[in-house]
Amino acid sequence: MSLANLRLGSLADLATSRRGAGWLRPRNLALIACVIVAGWLVFVPLSALLYTAFTEDTGFGPGAASFINFVEAYSSWHILRMFGNSVIFALGTALVTLVMGGLVAWVVERTDAPGGPLFHALALLSFAIPGLLTAMAWIFVLSPNIGWLNAIFKSTFGFKEAPFSIYSMGGMIWALASHYFPLAYLALGPALRVLDVRLEEAALVSGARYWQVMPKVTLPLLRPAILSTVLLLFMLGMSSYEVPRLIGRPARIDVFTTEIQAATQNAPPEFGIASALSITLLSICIIAVYFYRRATRHAEAFATITGKGYMPTRIKLRQWRWPVALAIGLLFAISLGLPLVTLVWQSFFRNLAQPFMPATSPMTLENYEFILSYPIFVNAVKTSVLLAAMAATIVVGLTFVMAWIALRAVPRSGWVLDSLAFTPIAIPHVIVGASVLFAYLMLPIPVYNTIWILLIAYVTMYLPYGMRFNSSGLTQIHKELEEVAEVAGARVGQVFARILLPLLAPVLLAAWIYVFVLSVRELGASVFLIGPGTHVLGTISLTMWEEGGSYGAVSALGVIQIIPLIAIVAALRWIELRVQSRSEASAAKAGAAP
Amino acid sequence: MFAIENLHKTFVAPGHTVVNAVDGISLGIETGKLITLLGPSGCGKTTTLRCLAGLERPEAGRIVIGNRTMFDSDAGIFVSPSDRGIGMVFQSYAIWPHMTVFENVAFPLRVARDRKYSAAEIKAKVLRALDMVRMSGFESRPATQLSGGQQQRLAFARGLVREPQILLLDEPLSNLDAKLREQMRVELKRLQKRIGVTTVYVTHDQSEALALSDEIAVFNAGKIIQRGTPQEIYRHPKSQFVADFIGSANFLAGTVKETAGADGIALVETPHGLFRCSFSQAVAPGQSVLVSARPEDLVLYDKRPGDGVNVFAGKIAHRIFLGEVIDYLIDTGDGEIRVRAKPELDFRVGQAVHVGVPPQKCVALPS
Repeated sequence: MSLANLRLGSLADLATSRRGAGWLRPRNLALIACVIVAGWLVFVPLSALLYTAFTEDTGFGPGAASFINFVEAYSSWHILRMFGNSVIFALGTALVTLVMGGLVAWVVERTDAPGGPLFHALALLSFAIPGLLTAMAWIFVLSPNIGWLNAIFKSTFGFKEAPFSIYSMGGMIWALASHYFPLAYLALGPALRVLDVRLEEAALVSGARYWQVMPKVTLPLLRPAILSTVLLLFMLGMSSYEVPRLIGRPARIDVFTTEIQAATQNAPPEFGIASALSITLLSICIIAVYFYRRATRHAEAFATITGKGYMPTRIKLRQWRWPVALAIGLLFAISLGLPLVTLVWQSFFRNLAQPFMPATSPMTLENYEFILSYPIFVNAVKTSVLLAAMAATIVVGLTFVMAWIALRAVPRSGWVLDSLAFTPIAIPHVIVGASVLFAYLMLPIPVYNTIWILLIAYVTMYLPYGMRFNSSGLTQIHKELEEVAEVAGARVGQVFARILLPLLAPVLLAAWIYVFVLSVRELGASVFLIGPGTHVLGTISLTMWEEGGSYGAVSALGVIQIIPLIAIVAALRWIELRVQSRSEASAAKAGAAP
Repeated sequence: MFAIENLHKTFVAPGHTVVNAVDGISLGIETGKLITLLGPSGCGKTTTLRCLAGLERPEAGRIVIGNRTMFDSDAGIFVSPSDRGIGMVFQSYAIWPHMTVFENVAFPLRVARDRKYSAAEIKAKVLRALDMVRMSGFESRPATQLSGGQQQRLAFARGLVREPQILLLDEPLSNLDAKLREQMRVELKRLQKRIGVTTVYVTHDQSEALALSDEIAVFNAGKIIQRGTPQEIYRHPKSQFVADFIGSANFLAGTVKETAGADGIALVETPHGLFRCSFSQAVAPGQSVLVSARPEDLVLYDKRPGDGVNVFAGKIAHRIFLGEVIDYLIDTGDGEIRVRAKPELDFRVGQAVHVGVPPQKCVALPS
């Protein structure tokens, strides 16, 4: 904080204004206010985490400064195995995801195989499905005991043992990769789209064979995109909580996130050890994000777009068009369709059921009746929706102002706000949850066990997303549109209300929906922060699963989350398409104007 | 009508270097006149305009518009742009895409604080402003459905609707294609004279500046290099920069041979011979000067004319046919000279020629 303020003063405004009073201009005060709010959200929990890590855990809060937590946390052989598990899990997920997503991206962007728009829509749709529910669904499919696919293999093909086990490292990687590969496709797609085919053609004309072009030209050109995608996925794998919790823990494959959470649940809670473990995980994620940002920064040096002359040419697959499209379709059907269908099917049966197989008991709606008649579930729905709506509103409003200040009002000091708002991207949700918990247990602010502590965590985690929507939206709006309003006599408030808000409305709405969906899906931070009266959808589903609720009821609870989320994500896509077509239309207009 | 005194504005460029964007500018003009701030990009002309609008806050100096002090660093006065009562047209036109043509023009009236406009008044004023720029009938058109030229007229209507005491134009014609630009130039001049609004015009296009201005201020590196009417600036540039930037010029280094007479003409010796040149300020004999002559003022002869003074000899090196004129590059054996001639006189490449220039068109600049 003090560092931020110091840089502010020295850098920007002392240069412009020789008189000290210029410092106190409203825009600078607004900047300082935003820096304080964002800085509080980001650094207060992290400070609490550090403080907890480097002090003795007395059981009644932190005591004297000490390294005892690190000694305890890192002195057993177990730590090595956990470290290995985490890295193998994250790296494995990243690589499997990269291959799957890369394949889809290549087919959709570089070949004339049909179904591109459908695959794109499916990829976006997968974003609506909470990770917890995917993990559950895969257990229904691939568990050695209850998995129906194993059952089919045993009954139909006469296998003695279950051929698949979800409770393994491979199973964990598959469960997460099937959920994340659309992300890899969405990240790699644009890079493949803008890759100029003529760079490849030039290599062919120079005498290279097609099999030489791929490793010598195409892959090196795509290297920054591939590298950044792998880093991103690695970080997501390190931070992921749902799959390790549901699949890893029963299989005794522990990773950082589950260990950290488990330490806080021990009796007595070992906050010190949780913090000490968090610091390693946080460091790994920060390093990954650092290299990620470096990789994406250098990506511009690879001039893959050549401006005017750019013309996308697709590889003609001829008779392979449909087989390739079907293969990609199958990939989506297996990775997204299978768990989803299983979950929906199971939600209509009281006992274990195999999709489309004759069931022992008749189809029933009683799971839904059960869920909707229990106040604890209805309350969790209410809490989740309320929290998500509040978090989305606060994040969008705050980052709208922050982005405007960073880009327009004090552009020279704007980087302070920008970096602050982006910091949480490197913090795994589990660590946000733990550190927010530690911070507000120490601070005399009575939010513990209320929904406000969840709100604080959600706002912190989703600041980067709001900032990204708002800054990119704002850069699309020519600065002169605001200046001319100011010269025409409009006050700052009027410029916001009459010019910026109407122009940015679609972007703000898209950002709102995005943050809303992320908040409803949230689990990693929520598990630390819920109180007896503040269960959210994620935590109630987890509790129900682990405390042996009926499979049917758990599935019904999942389905009632997924259906509205899918509808919301479809709405988001519709808004984005409208914004896109509008900006393209105006760009075409401006280009064609005499 | 407006006055700028000793204005200073610096920017911090990347790498923490401080750039003096506006370095002690003083400027002013009477009511109803059009003054052009002319110069290459980065010379401080746009920054000066933005300081006048209040969009930039200078570090030092004074700005008075009408009889109101808008900025005074010593008195600590800074009036925000929304309170300055000015009209402005931006390079991008800055037409709000979410409003109709009518709403774009009505905006300054709707947010006005000095007085409240009734709906009828707003309508009357908007329609008059649109009529002024020949955009009647477009009121209900969404602003996105306008051509570049129409957007530009709309931007003028919006700038003028409040009858501002001063109109600021930031390269308003630079986004139009060449033909439309020339047409709008004439229209703009007429409009400005008809409504008599004091106008500050920023451009890097010297032909626009010459065509439109009552007065031109030539900017370079944050300073005003020369001020005057278009004729003065064109005919009597006071420095090589101005001579070169306004139109084009051939330059010859030389030494003054005599004191200038009452007509301001004196003899200068150059490597190409003796030249009688006009001096705008007295230069002592023996001093070195730079002789500037514009290509269109040079005359080509196939035989050596007159007394041998003010004449170069050379060979045609290149010939560029431009339609209404022909440009010749003459190889003098010591550099090339550009001559712009009527197409009636047709010279061949390689032909030996003589180039003459009248003493009034041969301007000696301090070197």
